[in-house]
Amino acid sequence: MKNANNALFWQIDHQIKKSESQEGLVILPSRQAYKELDWTRNLFVDKPKEGYFVWLKKQIDFPLTTCITIASPKTTQNLTNLLVIEKNIKAEANVVCNAAEKSLCATHRAQGRLILKKGASLVYNHFHQWGEEDFVNPDYEFILKENSRLAYNYRSIASPKDLRLKTTIVSQKNSSCNINFVARGLGSKIAIEDTVFLRGVGARGIVKLRLVGGKDSQIKAVSKIVAEKESLGHLDCQGLLINEKAEISLTPQLIVQNKKAQITHEASVGRIAEESLNYLRSRGLTEDEAIDLIAAGFLGEEEPLVIGGRIISSKLYM
Amino acid sequence: MLKINNLSVETKGRKILKGINLEIKKGEIHALLGPNASGKTTLTGTIMGFADYKVSGGEIFFQGENIINWPIEKRAKAGIALAFQYPPAVKGITLSQLLEKTSQRKVTVKEFIADTKLLDREVNVGFSGGERKISEMVQVMGLNPKLVILDEIDAGLDLKNLAKVADLVKNKLLLNGVSLLLITHRGEILRFLEPNVVHVMLKGKIICSSHHWRKVWRTINKFGYEKCKQCPFLAD
Repeated sequence: MKNANNALFWQIDHQIKKSESQEGLVILPSRQAYKELDWTRNLFVDKPKEGYFVWLKKQIDFPLTTCITIASPKTTQNLTNLLVIEKNIKAEANVVCNAAEKSLCATHRAQGRLILKKGASLVYNHFHQWGEEDFVNPDYEFILKENSRLAYNYRSIASPKDLRLKTTIVSQKNSSCNINFVARGLGSKIAIEDTVFLRGVGARGIVKLRLVGGKDSQIKAVSKIVAEKESLGHLDCQGLLINEKAEISLTPQLIVQNKKAQITHEASVGRIAEESLNYLRSRGLTEDEAIDLIAAGFLGEEEPLVIGGRIISSKLYM
Repeated sequence: MLKINNLSVETKGRKILKGINLEIKKGEIHALLGPNASGKTTLTGTIMGFADYKVSGGEIFFQGENIINWPIEKRAKAGIALAFQYPPAVKGITLSQLLEKTSQRKVTVKEFIADTKLLDREVNVGFSGGERKISEMVQVMGLNPKLVILDEIDAGLDLKNLAKVADLVKNKLLLNGVSLLLITHRGEILRFLEPNVVHVMLKGKIICSSHHWRKVWRTINKFGYEKCKQCPFLAD
């Protein structure tokens, strides 16, 4: 089980609880980095008011864990984050954004840029856990320099009332990305928009979406790969409806601008078969338990995470 | 244990079961024989309470209680366990995770599976015929059942594996007075399990019930199911 108590950067509402640099690793509040490090000014997508700056210069053997929490009602966060991984460094990041309570009516806006320099490698685990009345709007851009590698795992199992997730990946020569979006809507409105630009020769991108539409949720996902050079890409978008009033709209888009590029996609939205429910209910599970189990299987495995003594796990919601 | 009185069942507007009567006592093994589409699977689905099967008449008693309006899971928890002929895949959930969720008692899986890697595989995803049977048996055993229904557990098994499965049924499942309803349209498994009563189902009716499974099976083997109605040897 991962433990975010070891977070290197922790912001609650607008207050920074922790910001710890170490040898080879600079972690600063965004505002401070913008002020003190000139070179970052062109890299921040905007002049930051709050958020974090992470600069990994040397190889480390622990994960970069950051935690952004909303704990007070009607808080509005406007974060501007920047993460830079230097050449040939391999890193893992656990990034948690959550609400401490279920009905805070909070707003979490985050815009950020993540830069992987030549030969760098990053596993970026992005966990969201929000309340039923929250509005959440992350907008991230990943720049993958030559020969870099990105595995991006986004999970929102306790989704907010309104989630707008925008992700852009720019993949340069021989770089690769493997992107997994997992979201479960429960009375939620979810809009996912992701675009992978395969900008360099030999770039590779795989995007996998797994979306579960529960209780009155409306989920719309537009997933796009733009192949500008000879490259390989694949989109795999799947939705599962577990509620009569839920709706899922999946739009895979392939834009190919180079005749040597090979880009493919698959997409499907389905309901749980009665046969599967009968099967699990005949093992003693109630209908709701059977639906939850099927949905959990569809969304895939996860490793629970501890934040401030609380376990963040989709299984707690099932 | 199980008593079915004059049960009639429809599915998709078609009458499938027409006045079924059946009584299985504690510790008894009953075999239900019949060709494809005779109504055997409809009967098992109705005993389990699957919504596709609409009961248009009759009653089902389990341990003295009329269960006709019970939901599936209540029947399962009361002790009715069905091993499916074609269990559906449950993607993303391993057999061990499912057992953890559903088992009411600890099952020593090694008793059933020499290759315990099956436990780490997604339920019924890419299982061979034999693996499906083993998986069903392990799950059923974990439910601590009082009545086990095996739906075509012998389908697709060669004689060697059939003997192995029958041995597991006899020595692992049917202990402490557990009753068995064995659905089949092959007769070989009868030799291994030697049922107390054998029933023949044709076109939604049980047309014959006998204590002499050998005689019934010989007759079916010789004349086929269609001749059963006329067969003078079947009745006790």
